[in-house]
Amino acid sequence: MTSALPRPPQPTSVPVLRRILLYGAVLAGAIAVVGAVIGGVVAGGSGVVSALIGTLMAVVFMGITAGSILVANRFAGTSAAIGAFFGIVMGGWLVKFVVFLVLMVLLKDQSWIQPVVLFLSIIAGVIGSLLVDVFVLMRSRVPYVSDVTLPPSTSED
Amino acid sequence: MLDATTVLAEINGNIATVGYGLAAIGPAIGVGIVVGKTIEGVARQPELAGQLQVLMYIGIAFTEALAFIGIATYFIFV
Repeated sequence: MTSALPRPPQPTSVPVLRRILLYGAVLAGAIAVVGAVIGGVVAGGSGVVSALIGTLMAVVFMGITAGSILVANRFAGTSAAIGAFFGIVMGGWLVKFVVFLVLMVLLKDQSWIQPVVLFLSIIAGVIGSLLVDVFVLMRSRVPYVSDVTLPPSTSED
Repeated sequence: MLDATTVLAEINGNIATVGYGLAAIGPAIGVGIVVGKTIEGVARQPELAGQLQVLMYIGIAFTEALAFIGIATYFIFV
């Protein structure tokens, strides 16, 4: 049993996942700008809109995984930790795909959407997001020990 | 009047909907393995939860990328 700490220690993955979300957002901005320019050149106004929507969809849906792990880590140290963790992460995954499918069906026949531009920007967003994940993972050092309570230093928590 | 074989063999709608089913099989198996192995690892060594979570995240990200691209082909193949 964990002792009555005011706040159980978070797993060491938290800063890495926060960094993944941050860098992912930055890269998404870059991809959105480039995609919007290319979409605008190729297909005009609807190309710009499609590129922005596609990039946003890709990065938001890829980011939900990291976000759900961060949310689930708030339960770390409680008795429901394992169940809450996998419930939140897998539940978020399922909801994400249902929403993604619904968006696809809704967007498919809109006149202000260029399907090819949207498709390519989704792929660019997904691959860019994967690159960010691998980059951050390679650059980060995750300590082995996460939920061992050291003697109190009380400087930061 | 239709006979039984015609009714059973008839396919309506767009064959591309089968594509989503195919696109879902691989990532479903993949994410199942990734998460299951993470549960196994955390159960054996709870203090490694942080590292295992990061690795699980990368595994899920790569696997779900397949699913996203598979579903997104709906835009160009239909």
